[in-house]
Amino acid sequence: MIYLNAAFAQRYAPDELPAAVRAVLGKALRRAAPLTQFALLGALACLPEERRHLPTALLWQSTRGPRLETRAMLEEVCVEGGEPMPFAFLATQPALAAAQIQPFLPGLQSAMHFPLDTEGVADWSLLLSLAGIWLTEDRYAQVLCAHLDYCEDGAEGHWLALAGKPAASCRASFVPAATIRPNALLDTPDFPARLVDRLGQPAASGLQLESPDTPRLAVEFTRYSP
Amino acid sequence: MKRPVYIASRGLLCARGESPGAVAEALWAGGRFVAERRRLGQREFPYFGLALENGNWLTRAEQAVSCVARQLGAISPETTLFIASSSFQIGHFEQQGSPFELPIANAEFSRCIAAWMQLSGPRHSLSNACISGFSAIDAARSLIAAGLIDEAVVVGVELRNDITLAGFAAMELLSPTACQPFDAQRDGLVLGEAVAALHLTAAPTGWRIAGLRTGIDSYSMTGPDPAGGPIAALMHATLNDAGLAASAIDLVKLQAAGSPGTDLAEANALRQVFAPAMPPLLSLKSALGHTLGASGIAETAALLACLDAEQISATAGFTAPDPEIGLVPTTERCAARTNHALLNLIGFGGGLATMIVERQP
Repeated sequence: MIYLNAAFAQRYAPDELPAAVRAVLGKALRRAAPLTQFALLGALACLPEERRHLPTALLWQSTRGPRLETRAMLEEVCVEGGEPMPFAFLATQPALAAAQIQPFLPGLQSAMHFPLDTEGVADWSLLLSLAGIWLTEDRYAQVLCAHLDYCEDGAEGHWLALAGKPAASCRASFVPAATIRPNALLDTPDFPARLVDRLGQPAASGLQLESPDTPRLAVEFTRYSP
Repeated sequence: MKRPVYIASRGLLCARGESPGAVAEALWAGGRFVAERRRLGQREFPYFGLALENGNWLTRAEQAVSCVARQLGAISPETTLFIASSSFQIGHFEQQGSPFELPIANAEFSRCIAAWMQLSGPRHSLSNACISGFSAIDAARSLIAAGLIDEAVVVGVELRNDITLAGFAAMELLSPTACQPFDAQRDGLVLGEAVAALHLTAAPTGWRIAGLRTGIDSYSMTGPDPAGGPIAALMHATLNDAGLAASAIDLVKLQAAGSPGTDLAEANALRQVFAPAMPPLLSLKSALGHTLGASGIAETAALLACLDAEQISATAGFTAPDPEIGLVPTTERCAARTNHALLNLIGFGGGLATMIVERQP
């Protein structure tokens, strides 16, 4: 049994992100790409102070990835013909976010970044399945799963905080789905928001996340009551 | 359920050859591996490129991926595919030129890779800089071990582009001359390109993945803690996952890319784990180049071909010991049977990964 201790969405206008980071850290996060800043805000929002030292994995997916930074780098190298500034290259590498988050989340032991290949389709079923496996075998005490996107219009993120034990904030639990029902939730970037919505409905039972390509990765949520 | 996970067929295309066996033969033959020179502004850098014509980027990519797919042999089209890369199709965008039309989904290239490999099943892409390959193996192995899938193909793709070369050059991480792992004169890494694939399965084969862990070293964005603490901790965690003592390791495939700081950190970590009985140490990056997101899979495919032949090659590029490193990689080739090999990846940007492979009776 895996427990869902937090689920939420985050949205920022492009110019709000640095201020949000300063509000949380009390300072700017130097030389950090927007996706890194965004990931840090979400990870810290998932975990109260007392849980930030627990062994943690971060599994995050992105549809657009560092698209703006990559385009800027292409212009700099291929059009202007010079060597880029080091930070311009670092900003195109989303995997580097973990090393910048770890000082604020000392329990962070591993991170994986999953870029997506189809707009509107996410890989939550893979992330939740990996989280379930690793939590069951006690590799980590908690796993943060996210979908993060950043573009000219702003940043939008969706988060699930999972653990092998329920926290006071626990909303639901999940297990691999034995059978798939027709009303299963689609694996889309905003799945956590739709899950929260269904959990808030009076008859919230049989909440499933589909996995059409790999049915054994489908999971079933049950509202948690201590 | 926790099933053992095995490595079945393997494919590899890199600067040293067009199959794992050909690469193993080249490594065994030894000698000095001469890299091509790539110009970047006023500077030139060595580079281990593929022996493919530099025409249309996508056509070249298809040739490389198809070549590796053929080496895997018959694979069910429904097999789950894990794709590891740090650059995906950035070289294609460079060739297309400005204005750069990037797709909305940043790993859209993975759909091409799957089609070229004639795999129509589930696709999952990972981009974890230099440890992408082991991250992908970790994910695939976890699903197979748990019984959620029965087999997977894990492919690493890192192909020629200017952005990566320029980025590493800007951070002064590249050697202007050659890759010299653990050497007193080492002055940086040499990039290369590769496509490599492993077919992972729950059905027993000659090699099992005995342990695999990934980690983070946040000491700096471009290099690990020089004391090697996080790297050593990860090696211990991987040995624990494998249920092995350090003394069971017969060979270490080093990260050792010739980087002054990272080589030193790895050496310090190795001492913490293995001293005083250090196993033979082998670096492949001076022969294959640092193939970044593909390196974990490419080096595993090459290493297993060497181990199948019961041959351990000399580490190319090593000439003079560094007293600060205090360790010497293989300087003479030798015939030896290796039952347990530990493979290290120390990634740019703080990623760490260690895998242990075990020969099956």
